[in-house]
Amino acid sequence: MVAMWYAIVSLMLIIYVVLDGRNFGAGMLHWLVARTPEERRQVIAAIGPLWSWHEVWLVGFGGTLLAVFPRLMASAFAGYYLALFLILWSLILRGISIEVGGHIDDRMWQGFWDFVFVFSNCLLAVLFGAAAGNVARGVPVDADGNFSMAFFTNFSVRGQVGLLDWYTISIAIFAATVLAAHGATYLTLKTEGPVHDRSSKYATYLWAAAVPLFLAISVESSAVRHDVVGRAIHNPFCWLGVFVILIAAGIMISGLKARHEMRAFLGSNFILAGLLTTGGAAIFPVMLYSTLAPENSMTAYSAAAGEQSLRLASFWWPAAFALAIAYFVFISRRYAGKVSVKRDTQGYY
Amino acid sequence: MEGKFVGGPDAGVAMIGQPNVAARRLDNPIEMPGALSFLAYGHFGSYVHGLDEFPTNVWPDNIEILYYSFHLMITLGTIFIVLMAYANFEGWRGRLESNTLLLWVLMLALPFPYIANTLGWMTAELGRQPWLVYGLFHTSDGYSKVVSGGDTLFTLIGFAGLYFVLGLLFLYLVGREIAIGPDHESAEREATVIG
Repeated sequence: MVAMWYAIVSLMLIIYVVLDGRNFGAGMLHWLVARTPEERRQVIAAIGPLWSWHEVWLVGFGGTLLAVFPRLMASAFAGYYLALFLILWSLILRGISIEVGGHIDDRMWQGFWDFVFVFSNCLLAVLFGAAAGNVARGVPVDADGNFSMAFFTNFSVRGQVGLLDWYTISIAIFAATVLAAHGATYLTLKTEGPVHDRSSKYATYLWAAAVPLFLAISVESSAVRHDVVGRAIHNPFCWLGVFVILIAAGIMISGLKARHEMRAFLGSNFILAGLLTTGGAAIFPVMLYSTLAPENSMTAYSAAAGEQSLRLASFWWPAAFALAIAYFVFISRRYAGKVSVKRDTQGYY
Repeated sequence: MEGKFVGGPDAGVAMIGQPNVAARRLDNPIEMPGALSFLAYGHFGSYVHGLDEFPTNVWPDNIEILYYSFHLMITLGTIFIVLMAYANFEGWRGRLESNTLLLWVLMLALPFPYIANTLGWMTAELGRQPWLVYGLFHTSDGYSKVVSGGDTLFTLIGFAGLYFVLGLLFLYLVGREIAIGPDHESAEREATVIG
């Protein structure tokens, strides 16, 4: 039961990252792939009607976490206090920049909001990457299950660690690269003309850059958490993740080569999903690893809610999930195909 | 919420009155008799429990602000209902656009829904005190011990700044739209639809 809920919560986070990751990526590349105001409107139009729908999955993830793993929620939300507020503010700023930027047709006004847009998306990609790094590395959980962290301490991965150290920064760089590549792949699917050509070039370069970075963080991760590797090789989901990554990479490369944009984008989605599956399965069942003393670590079993709550959750969750899937299918169909700046006129999102 | 210090049957709703917590009474009350009993239980004679029946340590912490936020929200809401009903009536008679006084009142009413909204939240959050989860969990036991006062002040200032910017943006963009005025094409289209 607990393992199933761990898988469900992970699945919701994976869906969020895959969906909103394309927006982070497109946002990061905004200035690079689009040069003129019209081209920039094209990028905004590619994600404008969709980003708020994607954030629903983050909210759903948080809600499920609260219902199913309340002790983890209590400890992690207090411990990650400042980091979570930075993420929240970045999400707010990104939302405002998309909503407000199109309201006034003025170069200075739009230039300013484009800056806010790019800045907040870069920050989000880096922060989510660092967050993943923190989950993998562990946090200084004390014997009561509490922890609090500064942004940085001495950049080492043992003892009283901070949010940023050499390991989490390298994960953040990897995450930013992969998300940017994902966003570029998405933009090749959604745009035409010069934006499309530049995006496709960036997609190729960024995915190529992701490969050595992936090898580097794999080595780093096994060094930082040597306890994980022995457990992970016995976990079938870990192998499933690796398998998905390999297949999806093949699909994506063939898609990029054949200029079959949908195939490349599907591959890109499943690469992200595979990466997160592997990571999530590898650390199971430890949800908060303690860098102070391993016996303080919080596992899925110790963080889970009571049997009664889990049963109640298994009753309601499928209904909500079905609703979320239904509207996802609806908006995907509604906004399928290339964006047209004429159809999605600026100013309404 | 109602400043009801003493329980009893035929409880009224105070239209006006100032809660006096130290003396445990409502000063200068003008009440609608029996209304509270009816709202709470469906009968004008029903017995409504007063604050005197509960120990003071489970009273809301700030009864005065709670009372005023709830009453102001209800007053504003009632005014909105009357105003909208009157405006609809005038619209139905085709005089909405020539009734200058009503148009002025409608325009000046713009900020009040925001105020009523905020007062509603204040009622909910003040009224639930001292409980975080009713009967289970006190607010004073519910804060995170590892988050320092400096951290919360930092995020509070951050939010205040963000909301200030958002407020300025709202005023600027709305003011700009008003200055531009309704665009003639859509105004004509509306006119043909209504006509």
